[in-house]
Amino acid sequence: MNRSETTRSFTMATWLGWQVESNWTDPFLFAIYVIIKPLASAAILVVMYSIITGGAYESPLFPYIYLGNAFYTYVGAVMAGVSWAVIDDREHYKTLKYMYIAPINIPFYWLGRGVSRFLIGTVAVIVILTAGVLFLNVPLDLTQVNWGLFIVSLLLGVTMLAMMGLILASITLMVAHHFFLIGEAVAGALYLFSGAIFPLEVLPAWLRPIGYAMPITYWLELMRRSLIGDVAQAFPTLAQYSNLQLLGILLGLTVIFAVASVFTFRWCDYRARELGLIDRVSNY
Amino acid sequence: MQANPSLALSASQKVTGWRLFLKTIVARAYPRVIGQQREKSWIFFDIFLPMLGVAAYVYVYRAIGAPEEYVGFVVMGGAMTSFWMNVLWSMSSQLYWEKEQGNLALYIIAPNSMMAVLLGMAVGGLFATTLRAAVIIVAGSLMFNVTYAVASFTQLLLVFFLAMTALYGMGMMSASLFLLLSREAWHISNLAQEPIYLVSGFYFPIKSLNFWVAAAASIIPLTLGLDAMRQLIFPSGALLGFLSVKVEIAVLIVLCVLFLTAAKFLLDYMEKLAIREGRLTESRR
Amino acid sequence: MTHFAIETKDLSRIYKIRGNKKEKQIRKELVALENVNLTVERGELFGLLGPNGAGKTTLIKILTTLLAPTSGWARVAGYDVTQHPNLVRPRINMVSGGESSGYGLLTVRENLWMFSQFYGMPSKEANQRIVELLKMVGLEDRIHTKSSDLSTGLRQKMNIVRGFLTDPEVLFLDEPTLGLDVGAARDVRKLIRTWVDTSPLPSGEGKGEGRRTLLLTTHYMVEAEELCDRVAIINKGRVLACDTPANLKRNLQRDAIFEIETSPLNGLTSQILQDQPEVKKAALTDIEGGARLELILKEEAALASVINILTQKEIKVKRLTKREPTLEDVFMDLVGQKMEEVEKEEAPHAG
Repeated sequence: MNRSETTRSFTMATWLGWQVESNWTDPFLFAIYVIIKPLASAAILVVMYSIITGGAYESPLFPYIYLGNAFYTYVGAVMAGVSWAVIDDREHYKTLKYMYIAPINIPFYWLGRGVSRFLIGTVAVIVILTAGVLFLNVPLDLTQVNWGLFIVSLLLGVTMLAMMGLILASITLMVAHHFFLIGEAVAGALYLFSGAIFPLEVLPAWLRPIGYAMPITYWLELMRRSLIGDVAQAFPTLAQYSNLQLLGILLGLTVIFAVASVFTFRWCDYRARELGLIDRVSNY
Repeated sequence: MQANPSLALSASQKVTGWRLFLKTIVARAYPRVIGQQREKSWIFFDIFLPMLGVAAYVYVYRAIGAPEEYVGFVVMGGAMTSFWMNVLWSMSSQLYWEKEQGNLALYIIAPNSMMAVLLGMAVGGLFATTLRAAVIIVAGSLMFNVTYAVASFTQLLLVFFLAMTALYGMGMMSASLFLLLSREAWHISNLAQEPIYLVSGFYFPIKSLNFWVAAAASIIPLTLGLDAMRQLIFPSGALLGFLSVKVEIAVLIVLCVLFLTAAKFLLDYMEKLAIREGRLTESRR
Repeated sequence: MTHFAIETKDLSRIYKIRGNKKEKQIRKELVALENVNLTVERGELFGLLGPNGAGKTTLIKILTTLLAPTSGWARVAGYDVTQHPNLVRPRINMVSGGESSGYGLLTVRENLWMFSQFYGMPSKEANQRIVELLKMVGLEDRIHTKSSDLSTGLRQKMNIVRGFLTDPEVLFLDEPTLGLDVGAARDVRKLIRTWVDTSPLPSGEGKGEGRRTLLLTTHYMVEAEELCDRVAIINKGRVLACDTPANLKRNLQRDAIFEIETSPLNGLTSQILQDQPEVKKAALTDIEGGARLELILKEEAALASVINILTQKEIKVKRLTKREPTLEDVFMDLVGQKMEEVEKEEAPHAG
């Protein structure tokens, strides 16, 4: 039976993405590679926090920062994964043109290419959370977790991140191959507005609206609430919203981003073809 | 096609030695400079966005009620990440792309020095890198009211110069790996971002780390460079310094000599090894 | 100083082939070159002719200091390529067919200028020379075009200009006309010949001294035949013959070479024909509506036995031509197969 174009594009890209990501080394080195980067990121924040507070891990702010940062791993992973596939295919493997002329759905192909980074990100998140519980008193009790909320929020959040990744991938079509990773640059910048590592109140009033417009803000709040409800609610930022309201807002913003991603892809795709950028090699 | 009686050029007109070294640096910097001029999107992705990323770390300190000097530390560290990124991505990893594109073989068969090619890449990216560092410092200082009290401009310049020399020497050493490896080395570069931010104290004084961890991290020139610069720039810097500035300058001088010598040796050695193993022209993607 | 521009002695290269994860334990070895002994005089335009995967590119890599031999030695411009790469490099340059070197964001002039600087050329002269050379290959109107906007053929012309630009003593061209159309390939061949014939080195006396040398690899017989002073025929890493094209063909002069177009072969194989005592070599190729037989016969009279076999197998002869030997026939005589047949068999190992 012929699978639909969308499924075929996605599964094939998932397989390809996994090969590209993982087959450069043996499994042991790969496992270390997968966890060391996000663990180091988390450790930077832990050290910053412990220097200033003298190790006051019992304060609700610590799990706030720790969990926000842990789940933010997904933002970098998905955004960088999806957008990097464009550069990698275009400039390195020089296969983007062949993907374009194949009977596949390009956005779903890109999303598939991001899956491997998502899976790697998942391992990293689990390792970070485990380290937090074991060594840093993060009050995560698996019996107290609101699993329903967690799973729904995670699925919705991943969809939202995929849409954001798609927007970035579409823009990447128009951008030259610079020596840095634009996915990581964007994820690094959004760190500021997503309430990941500090409540939005800390931002100056004129910057806060950007944070409120970002779906990541609501998603991270939901992740914190589902895992350690009471601690998460200790901060006023989104305290007035119920879980359901937050889910509603996240869903609404996800839909908006999904629509935006469709239009962005169409426009960038049109412009890239008009300017002949699909098969260019712009490394310098 | 037109006939041309002579296609020859007198060989004596070609320069060698240090003149060739300089010419090579300029020539390899050229595509970088021109590329940046023709594809300006880097200004958004490599200047504006990193500035926001640095601001995030400032607000973490604000959120946990850190003393104001830590804000200055972050701004300073954030600015210096530019140079680390330049070494990692625009110099070391760039060789991976050169290999894949077929340029590496042409660099090798030319009579130029590989060190000059690598320096050319770095110098070409230096405008963007310095701009990124400057924007982070200026914007960060204005936004967060960072106050500076420079103890000694001479020492500050000396530390910066030594740290950069040692850093680029270290970058050239790691670049030699790329002559032999392909994708693996690219992933190693990718891995050397956050862990280095952590142990080199980009966002906090390394004195806060265990002494031996800080001492081990001092092998990365930015660790002591950054520590010494913080000591020289901020009023409370000296209190939070890892070692005294003079000791740090001495270590940096040692690192400069060590890394530049090792880079020359390693580049020659790795080139020979790669030629023997047939790795210079292979594409293992 | 030796008067050879290129000299190799018992040159061999063995590649270790790494398998995928499952085959990790199995390390295969591929002999890319085996005891290659070659001498190329200064001032010669020397061709390496062989099918894909014959070892031509490996030999060029060794001669251009990019790859070390497993055993044996090679000298280029008088210097050992393994011991003294730094003395070889200022004297050589190389262009490979189909390469994508340079930077797409730079113009043709900028790319070429950049490479000239790696050889220490003064900027002004490099720029003048770029214009001259681009004119010679008909690319002068594209001097300010970004190289990413060039077609494959024009990009190849730019690369060829890069090779000539730095004025090497010995130039290596690996399949220089690959991907070029007929006209462009002709331009490039003319440039190659002009360069070797009319560009003396600044000093030098004696045999070949003061002349430039060019080694090209090709699997186009006509290119080798038309262009090269001498040709080495190489297959499976071994040099089978080395001489002027005329001399190589002369060895076949006493033989009779026939080309026969027939109806479909009805189970006829080249072995059946070669089993005939007077048939030296036979190659069969399927063509539309039938087949083509290429025969090297010790004497013309042997044609009768071939026709006899065809008649027995009810194969109709549509056309029969006797022709002069070509390098393709020389190759077939040496290897026993046509070059394209060898390429089909060797495809998985090409390199």
